Formats: sequence, C-alpha cells, structure tokens
Amino acid sequence: MLVLRGLTWLILFQLLGTVLNVLLLPILPGPIIGLLLLLGFLVMRGEVSESLNQGSSQLLRFLPLFLIPPAVGVIVYAEALAADFWAIAVTLVVSLAVSMAFAGWLMQKLIDRQRRREGDA
Amino acid sequence: MNLDFSAAWQALIHHPLFGLGITLAVYQLAVIAYERTRWIFLQPVLFSMVVLVALLLLSGLDYGEYSASVSPLILLLGPSTVALAVPLYLNLRRIRQLLVPILVTLLVAGVFATVSGVLLAWLLGAERLVLMTLAPKSVTSPIAMLVADEIGGVAALAAVFVMITGVLGAMFGPALLDLCRVSHPAARGMAMGMTAHAVGTSRALQESEECGAFSALAMSLMGVATAVLLPLLVALIV
Repeated sequence: MLVLRGLTWLILFQLLGTVLNVLLLPILPGPIIGLLLLLGFLVMRGEVSESLNQGSSQLLRFLPLFLIPPAVGVIVYAEALAADFWAIAVTLVVSLAVSMAFAGWLMQKLIDRQRRREGDA
Repeated sequence: MNLDFSAAWQALIHHPLFGLGITLAVYQLAVIAYERTRWIFLQPVLFSMVVLVALLLLSGLDYGEYSASVSPLILLLGPSTVALAVPLYLNLRRIRQLLVPILVTLLVAGVFATVSGVLLAWLLGAERLVLMTLAPKSVTSPIAMLVADEIGGVAALAAVFVMITGVLGAMFGPALLDLCRVSHPAARGMAMGMTAHAVGTSRALQESEECGAFSALAMSLMGVATAVLLPLLVALIV
C-alpha cells in the first residue's frame, strides 16, 4: 500500500506539472515542472516520507525498462541518422572527451582553491 | 487437416500484448546478460533497443502498433521523471561543504558541454533536427528525451545519443581523468555524472562511495539545469 500511496503522490505532482505547463510555463515539460515542485516540497518538509521513498525507489528501479519503447522509436529516424552519421559520431566522442576533462579539471582547481583558503583562515 | 500458419502468425504479432511481451522478455535477457558479463556494450537499454529494432524489422510490425502495445511503459516514464526529485534531494543534503565549486562547475562546464556539442555538429554540417537532438546528450535519458522533444529534436534519437555518450564516458572516463590529473573523488564524480549521467554514475560508484555520490548529484543537477535552461535558451536564440 505504501508503494501505491507514493505512486499516487508522484502522479499528482506530474499532473500538477502538466496543468502549470499549459497555464504558465509552455517551455518546460510537465514532468520537469513536477520534479521541481516535488523537490521544493521535500526541501520545505525537510524529509522524505516512507511512502514517497518506496514509491520512487520502486519506480526508478524500472526506469531503464520505461526508456526502451521511446528508444526503439529510432527505427523511424534511420535516414536522418544515416545522413549525418559522421557529424554525429565525431561530435559524440570529441564533445564528451573535452567536456569531461574540462569539468574534472575545473572542479579539481576549485576544490584546491577552497582548501587553500580554509588553510589560510 | 490444414493448419493456417500465416493467420496464426498474424494473430500473434498483432495481438495488443505482443509488443509488451517481447519488450519485457528482451529487457530481462539484457539485464541477465549484462550482470553475467559486465560487458559495457551490453548496457541493457542500448542492447534491448538493438534487439527490439531487429525483431520489429523481422516481424514486420510497424512502430505505431508497437508503441500502442507498450503504452503502459511509456505512461510510467512521467512519474519516474518526477521521482528523480527524491534522490536529488537526498544528495543535496549530504554535500554542503563543496557548494560553491559544485555550482560553478555545473554552470561553466555544463554550458561548455552543451555548446561544444552543438557547435561541433554544426561545423560538421549536421541538420537542425540533429543539432537539437544532440544538445541534451549529457543528461539522463528521461530528461534528455523530454527536452529534445521540447526544442524541436527527436526523443528517440536523443535516447540513443545519451546512451552512447554514457557508455563511452564510463569506458574511457576514468583513464581520461587520470591523464588530466583529476584526483579528488568529488571532482572525478562530478565530471562523470555531469557528462555521462547514469552510466557514468554506476562507473563512479565502482571507484568509491564519495565519487558515486558526487556523480549522482552532478547527474541530477545537470539534468534539472538542462531541463530548465536549455528550452529557455533555445526560445531566446532561435
């Protein structure tokens, strides 16, 4: 029953997100608004209820399964994919390598700097 | 007796449960294969996608009919996206000391990751549809698919780009970070989670608990930041 109650909360937040999407925020997808609302709600409450904890962890366990049907939709776009194959392949590899190296380097520098400051103080 | 095999075959593949049945079966086989071998090319979503595409082509079932059959799974993707708020909240609470480095890295490196990808593909002559699909490639699939759809890309292709990015990141990320002398577990986790999302996070968890926690945090923050900022940015520029 706890899982069902958690699921009901999640659906409620998603529906709320959809309503806000249509009324106020057409650029943000409904589920994303739902995610932000739930995050705000959790920050305000300061804890995760047992039902929400169970509902979300059960659902997230199966997240990879829910992603398969949209991924299979690639079958419809085989032509677009083939036309830009090399551009896509090079972009995916190079952009990932450069971005990951940059993110790691930047974070390392910032941590070192914060440590030095704390050492000085 | 004259058995009508062709009619039976048609009844089988056009049954409303056929698509759901093969999806559940293939996914479970993929998970077992991955757990046995830990071979990164057998990443369950990627592998299931390849097998299911092959099955649809072989059986002649079109995607519209398949998609109707698996609609219960598609329906649950929304609440699952909302559910991502729970791990994000739990991670937010535990990592307060490094707030400034995290936020700065998120903004600067996050923008860099997104812009570098789109710019590179544009220079290489990719079409607009592909550019808009490549933009959210660094974030976890449910968010990337929603965002790609929102800004004029293709959700299905976004899922594929996201998976490839994640798998490459998990395979080569640790060696690349060693090469760049990134040694702090928080920095390594942040880099893997931001650019290689869930697959990178599962790799980061193998390094250490701290590395995994930062990776999970980075993945959620990057996902939410992309979901909120990218559609705004595209609306402003285009």
